[in-house]
Amino acid sequence: MPSGLRKAHKFIWLLLIIIIPMIMFFSIKDLNIFSIEGNTTSQIKSSKKSKLYSFENDIIKGAIFESEIEIILKSTLKNSSSIVYGMDEKGNRLDAIGQLTTVGIYNFNINSLPKGIIIFDDIKQVEITKLNFKWD
Amino acid sequence: MGLDYQLVLWNKFKKTYDKIIVLAMLLYVILFAAITLTFNSETSIETLIIRAFGSLAIIMLHIILVIGPLSRLNSSFLPILYNRRHLGVSMFIAALIHGGFSIFQFHALGDVNPIYSIFTSNMDYGSLTNFPFQVLGFFALLILFVLASTSHDFFLSNLSAKIWKRLHMMVYIAYALIIAHVFLGAFQQETSTFTIGLLITGFIIVSGLHLVSAYKEHKVDKTSTNGTENWLKVCDISEIEEDRAKIFTIQNERVAIFKYDGKLSAIHNVCKHQGGPLGEGKIIDGCITCPWHGYQYLPHNGQSPPPFTEKVSTYQLKLENKTVFINPKAFDEGTEVEPCKY
Repeated sequence: MPSGLRKAHKFIWLLLIIIIPMIMFFSIKDLNIFSIEGNTTSQIKSSKKSKLYSFENDIIKGAIFESEIEIILKSTLKNSSSIVYGMDEKGNRLDAIGQLTTVGIYNFNINSLPKGIIIFDDIKQVEITKLNFKWD
Repeated sequence: MGLDYQLVLWNKFKKTYDKIIVLAMLLYVILFAAITLTFNSETSIETLIIRAFGSLAIIMLHIILVIGPLSRLNSSFLPILYNRRHLGVSMFIAALIHGGFSIFQFHALGDVNPIYSIFTSNMDYGSLTNFPFQVLGFFALLILFVLASTSHDFFLSNLSAKIWKRLHMMVYIAYALIIAHVFLGAFQQETSTFTIGLLITGFIIVSGLHLVSAYKEHKVDKTSTNGTENWLKVCDISEIEEDRAKIFTIQNERVAIFKYDGKLSAIHNVCKHQGGPLGEGKIIDGCITCPWHGYQYLPHNGQSPPPFTEKVSTYQLKLENKTVFINPKAFDEGTEVEPCKY
């Protein structure tokens, strides 16, 4: 190679040797990759939560915990919008809790224990499903 | 060497290397699919393709990047260097499949232009760990496209070796973008010490080999020549092997002094084709033959034998008591110089 290209090679590699390790370090420093065991244990510990109520119908299945509701969507809904609302004793919609999209497990935070939930299509203004919780 | 442009100048070695490349790529994808489906049978076919071809492209890029320094350090790697361009184009195809499927799966199913979506679906440009990493992959793919599409000798000849080489040094930028793409993307979502360690090891090997070969080149640059203003003392004639050359740096440029048939001739060390080190080649059929792609030059005038037209600079030599001296002033490319007889 001519001397100019050799110098350019040297310059580029000196830059890469500085820049790439910096990208690597800063992108993985918060990942806790070197303490997987401890991390997993703490995750398991923190995930131990007491189930207060379970529910299931044809579309969804789930459970209520102290400050969280878990919803498992069994199959993808045909509705273009599917919002989960809390429900009062009279069966009226309260505040929105979260949104469902594809099949999967959803966890939403809740401030108080709902009397039930309504999954509602906000675009077509159609109720998709409703579940009443029978608290003892 | 060729006078006419052909899509590929096939020969039996190129065919063998290309078969090895294709078979190795197929084998990797099949193995990747088998292992993935064994341990995670719910993986979708799109995800499988994206991951298999993405990882394949990264592995191939690492191989491509070590070929250069390896052949500087050990001439037995030169045949791979000769076929590096086909490996590069194959790597681009793997990267294109990865990028194409990713764009289709993550950006083409909405009502926004997929390319526009790559840049706007995640606008967290101020964050490092949540950075829109697909943008980095997209730019790397663009660079690889430019390199693959200009890899043919037609562009090399029309752009000039110097510009072509500088253009193809963009592969280093693509490498940095790809590393960032993986570390800010895949590794943020699925942290694995094994894959992170593998990529870090890959970087250490690639950069380490480049540093070692740069050090070797630096030593050549420091090879001392001394003497009067017009004639520089180079070496003893016994230091040059028959039909081979010794390389020296004179006024920042490298010169190769060849010994053949009882004669000595000096030419500029840089091949006109891709800047290959002519002094690391040997005399074949009376011609200096570049070790990279076989381009040839006559030692006494630096001209490629007819009908080829490449020319390099020549230098005047003199011999005093078995000591070789060189006149540091280069003659114009292709200038006839009487070989120094011994």
